Amino acid sequence: MSLALSQQAYVSRLGRGALGFAALAAAILAGTCIGETPIPVLVVLQTLANKILGAAYVLDPIDMGIIWNYRLPRAIVAACCGSGLAISGMVLQSLLRNALADPYLLGISAGASTGAVAVTVAGLGAGAVSMSLGAFGGAVAAFLLVAILARAAGGGVTLHGTGQIVLAGIAGSQLFNALTSFIITKSANAEQARGIMFWLLGNLSGARWPDVWLAVPVALLGLAACVWFARALDAFAFGAEAAASLGVPVRSVQVVLIGLTALVTAVMVSIVGSIGFVGLVIPHAARFIVGVRHGRLGPATALIGAAFLIAADVLSRTIIPGQVLPIGVITALVGAPAFALILVRGRRAR
Amino acid sequence: MILEARNLCWSARGRPILAGVDLSVSEGETLGLVGPNGSGKSTLMQLLAGIREPSSGEVRVKGRRLAEMPRRQAARMIAFLEQQAETTEAITVRDAVELGRTPWLTPLQPWSAEDDRIVARALADADMEGFERRSWSTLSGGERQRVHLARALAQCPQILLLDEPTNHLDIQHQLSILGLVARLPVTAVIALHDLNQALACDRVGVLSSGRLVALGTPEEVLTIERVHAVFGVRVSIVTDPCDGTRLFRFRPLA
Repeated sequence: MSLALSQQAYVSRLGRGALGFAALAAAILAGTCIGETPIPVLVVLQTLANKILGAAYVLDPIDMGIIWNYRLPRAIVAACCGSGLAISGMVLQSLLRNALADPYLLGISAGASTGAVAVTVAGLGAGAVSMSLGAFGGAVAAFLLVAILARAAGGGVTLHGTGQIVLAGIAGSQLFNALTSFIITKSANAEQARGIMFWLLGNLSGARWPDVWLAVPVALLGLAACVWFARALDAFAFGAEAAASLGVPVRSVQVVLIGLTALVTAVMVSIVGSIGFVGLVIPHAARFIVGVRHGRLGPATALIGAAFLIAADVLSRTIIPGQVLPIGVITALVGAPAFALILVRGRRAR
Repeated sequence: MILEARNLCWSARGRPILAGVDLSVSEGETLGLVGPNGSGKSTLMQLLAGIREPSSGEVRVKGRRLAEMPRRQAARMIAFLEQQAETTEAITVRDAVELGRTPWLTPLQPWSAEDDRIVARALADADMEGFERRSWSTLSGGERQRVHLARALAQCPQILLLDEPTNHLDIQHQLSILGLVARLPVTAVIALHDLNQALACDRVGVLSSGRLVALGTPEEVLTIERVHAVFGVRVSIVTDPCDGTRLFRFRPLA
């Protein structure tokens, strides 16, 4: 009886997993087809067959180039960033028990930007430090600063129902954004500065295959951690003390998961710049659809985040003909009203 | 001794909250802890549960130091019902009670039919059957308390630590929870405000200003003089004519 039940559970889990994977593949395919020059799905599939399976369909080399060198890596990177940022937001919301926690609001993205700019523009580390590593350093520094500030203000990272951590995050974001501007103004030439400003608002146009090989493992790592720690994250529903009394090693789970969040955010920021609101809004949308249990919520958040950022990227490329809008503009246009909605609903719940 | 505290001390920002508490609880016993507000009952409960580290002294569970035990293993033996643990998550009663199985599950040891049975049993024991699908935010204070109790029971603990479990409960559910704890084959430590309820425990400990000033059977410990000294009230003892049970009656100091 028990065996049959658990087998059934495994089968339905596998089925959901396959469905999710299919949805992700479809989203990436759509992201590859849609653009200023629409490319038929068949051509995209034939290109993939040529490149991956060594098939020999005769195709326009320009189409093939666009698909293989630009749109496909871009769509995959978008998917990874979307899922990575959304999962980071979900983990922070659960651990800090704050509906408004996300890597952008808590200053982690701003810190990562500062770290990345310090490495690329100011030449910190003299070439020995990669941009992603610099971003990671900045992200961790920013979170530590925000956490210490919140604790000093009486909030703390483990207490519930306090706005201190969000207020501290706002202060941290401002500080690190100012530092970033300072470094750019001091060290970058005009052309560099223009490029960096564009990158800071979030931009996927530079995404190529090497970025894919960085983004995919990091996004998968984030997702795997969520699934592995799903029950621990569930146990935080009634606060850190309740989690401890349910057998969760609170301190080490917090360190591992927040560290991982900083890593995922930092890598994504170093590839595409800081994109806001994905980490804030997507987890709430996912909770609305699949509920609050992290075993389901984690994968759902990752999937919705991936699809959302692919869609946002397609919009940013096509909404103004001949112009590419920073993707952060699109996510903010969708995210800001959603953020307002969460604030208002949170107040009603109280 | 299933649970022992040796010279437990805890201070917050240099101010001692608990000082030199020695305590031992034998298997199957129900120990009541009483004391005025701020006497250190909740802190002592948290130290016994192992979710706070003592400044000095130690807690032992079945002879093993609690501080050295992995959290998961400790949570399989000890369930702790905090005062007023709240959530803003949209979770259901069933979700909340299922959390009690956390220490018994790993990613490689997923949910089983046995866990379903334990959760159903815990819900029934806490008199919350039929509430499974209710959302947390729609529950009354007393219902939430009973859900927390069901969650603690779902942990299948050998030791149950309850911090004022009868708060927010109507009199019927106060009696049913205390009756349930008395019937269960577990060792229980219960922080209580109602001294008449403490009279029903096997032993009672009295806390005053962070010290355990008395420990023994209710008759030995809860004397008129001590209640007067510790709680600052006038006390008289009346006897229920139905069954001869002793009861306290309190009046303010003149």
